[in-house]
Amino acid sequence: MAVDSPPRNALAGWRQVPVQELVLPVVIVALFIAGVIIRPEVFPTSDNLLNVLTQASITGIIAIGMTFVIATGGIDLSVGSVLAAASIAGGLLADYGSWMFILGAIGFALLLGVINGLAITWGKVVPFIATLAMLTIARGLALWMSDKTPISLIELDILQQIGGGRVLGVPVPAIVFVLVAIAGWVLLNRTTFGRHTIAVGGNRSAARIAGIRSNRVVFAVYALIGLCVGISAVLLSGRLASASPVVGNLVELDAIAAVVIGGTALTGGKATVTGTFFGVITFALIFNLLNLLNMPAEIQGIVKGALILAAVALQRRD
Amino acid sequence: MTEADSPLLEVRGLVKDYPGVRALDGVDLTVTRGQVHCLIGQNGAGKSTLIKCVSGLVEPTAGEVRFEGEPLPVGDPNASIARGIATIYQELDLVPHLSVALNVFLGHEQRRGPLLNRAAMHRETAALLARLGDEGIAPTAAVTTLRPAQQQVVSMARALSHSVKLVILDEPSAVLDDVEVEALFKVVRRLTAEGVGIIWISHRLGEVAQLGDRVTVLKEGRTVATELPPDTPVDTLIGHMVGGRMEALFPDRKPFREAPVLEVRGLTRAPDVHDASLTLREGEILGLAGLVGSGRTELLRSIYGLDTAQSGQVEVAGKRLPPGRPDLAIRAGLGFAPEERKSQGLWLDWSMVRNTSIADLSRFRRGPLTDRAAERREAAKHLRSLKTRPDAPERPAREFSGGNQQKAVLARWLLRSCKVLLLDEPTRGVDVGARSEIYRVIAELAANGIGIVMVSSELAELLGFCHRVLVLREGHVVDELDGATSTEEDVLRSAVPVHHTTAGGSAPRIPPETQTKAG
Repeated sequence: MAVDSPPRNALAGWRQVPVQELVLPVVIVALFIAGVIIRPEVFPTSDNLLNVLTQASITGIIAIGMTFVIATGGIDLSVGSVLAAASIAGGLLADYGSWMFILGAIGFALLLGVINGLAITWGKVVPFIATLAMLTIARGLALWMSDKTPISLIELDILQQIGGGRVLGVPVPAIVFVLVAIAGWVLLNRTTFGRHTIAVGGNRSAARIAGIRSNRVVFAVYALIGLCVGISAVLLSGRLASASPVVGNLVELDAIAAVVIGGTALTGGKATVTGTFFGVITFALIFNLLNLLNMPAEIQGIVKGALILAAVALQRRD
Repeated sequence: MTEADSPLLEVRGLVKDYPGVRALDGVDLTVTRGQVHCLIGQNGAGKSTLIKCVSGLVEPTAGEVRFEGEPLPVGDPNASIARGIATIYQELDLVPHLSVALNVFLGHEQRRGPLLNRAAMHRETAALLARLGDEGIAPTAAVTTLRPAQQQVVSMARALSHSVKLVILDEPSAVLDDVEVEALFKVVRRLTAEGVGIIWISHRLGEVAQLGDRVTVLKEGRTVATELPPDTPVDTLIGHMVGGRMEALFPDRKPFREAPVLEVRGLTRAPDVHDASLTLREGEILGLAGLVGSGRTELLRSIYGLDTAQSGQVEVAGKRLPPGRPDLAIRAGLGFAPEERKSQGLWLDWSMVRNTSIADLSRFRRGPLTDRAAERREAAKHLRSLKTRPDAPERPAREFSGGNQQKAVLARWLLRSCKVLLLDEPTRGVDVGARSEIYRVIAELAANGIGIVMVSSELAELLGFCHRVLVLREGHVVDELDGATSTEEDVLRSAVPVHHTTAGGSAPRIPPETQTKAG
């Protein structure tokens, strides 16, 4: 970044690089090698790898937002349902063109995120319950607003370009994911807001004494994840060329799993966007390999759950 | 009292090292059956660490603990309990909303099949309370409804619910008034008559003569005197405790300026603070004295806006503060160093730099980003000016001693260039050697024009270098004393309630830690 790192003195070695930031790249390389060995004719093709990245991007963008929420010691269980509700909200505006879809989807997701934030700060409802309630509210809204029917977006060329197009051979969703990850990294590590987020998650009373208005920070992270979900809704709907009220099932689990496996503490106060990024890629590769091995979906579910359990159990050790 | 047959507890050459601090440096102690052994020493002398080693909460670095002639396994609280050692800590570890009986049997509940056998527990609790001479407490009552003294009795009953041979009491009298202390003495005498050994830790030297059989004095982690008879003159005890260098501890009082920097008028937050007023001038060090529960901490918190005052005004340099807004108090020039430094003052995993810069991060903003080089430079500058040791601002706060952690909190407010610093027990958890340095730092800040309001439980500290001392009692400012000329007796005369309050007067009070933990 712009700021040079200062000359390291002998004591600078204390800085513990989070284990996951070192381990996960190794895991990713290992998975890659495994893929090359298992299915040399399919796995290492650019089509397959770009497909992995595209699928990872929908969850990945949400996981970046989830990193901030978990950094404050909170959780957002509603993201999957909000993803669907935002898609439908955009879909209702489909007649007015792609840009109105985008505005509608992102605006609605942001609105639901703001409601989560208000319930948690102003309403003093614990995040687990507030977002659990939103999980069912948003799913209900999605089904109700769409009359339980998917909305076709086949007319929206720009939207489909965004969801399914490529720039210099790279799928647009993957580009957006990387940009969101970079923005998230800068926000967490290089801005006052990021530091305050960690401060509130690490020690709420000390933060108050240091003059940080915790409620504002907490409110902001739920609005932020709403924004991330909105962006994902645009990419997903564009790729599917339709807005469906049933998409996004269990996306919250995938996002939380990626964040946790990346090394962000569920208790708050310790967060890494880099770790989350690697966590998303790790999961995407694992499921791609399971797919290539023709493992049925139920096996994938078992593997996913076991991985989350192992990741959290390992985190508890330090 | 009973002459020593075989000693109940023998501690030999006990050493405990924490990172950067040697808390115990060769402690010896012998307690016999039926004996009340008083353990005294200044805060930070190692009393708490010693009893934690005996009760198994802390594993000593070196040395030996023998109980009834046999070595006690170290670092195993369950082993200590099983052998008959019960510890009653300063912060009562009762579960507020459970009944007395359930608290007494917490962790070893009596069952009938898979279910709790409440009847048996109530019956046995009643018997235990009777044994303690306190039939007034109902086994079914919730602990929150009891007065502090009664809560203490419940803790004792819990200790007795195991077959107990040694009871350790950590400052049991700190939260009690005289009548309640007398009742507690009776309980203790009943126990010793049964042959139970008692370790009684206290700051009140008067209790030693009344209750003790033997006295041991700790200073800077060492046993400086042991097996003293209870009629040892108080002056001699104090001499052992301070090692004759109490005076040199404190820096000189520097003159302060005329301009008032903090004005508090009629501040009220029921039930803790009533109509409190004070004026603080630039460079003045104002002490707040009072017993535990007198509202000292609450007054500081209300001034700062951590608690929302119901009425009254706070002005900093002529600017009026809205109640309940610490962020605006900071902007106006206030700074606050809380008593619970680790849980409320610091992020222990963060570097000292981050802990120092957190209250004024926006000043390092360059565009949307934080200029981390400037942040590091400024924070390190202030940490160095306070002679923080080791000089390693990138290391996490966790690795620093209590005194140096306190310096990070002070450096935070220096970096923020505050005008008034509110300090709540600034030397709590700071070892004696480092205290004089904290005093010197505070005096230097004052000499630079910062106004200081300081709460302390140690009168010597308040009278040692404060310009003025305000005494609080039951939430009211009841006296104002000149720091240089007043004595501890002057302070105590105002601080101790004239009449002994009964159940109605001093409402049941759960220690503040228990209440605020959730927040």
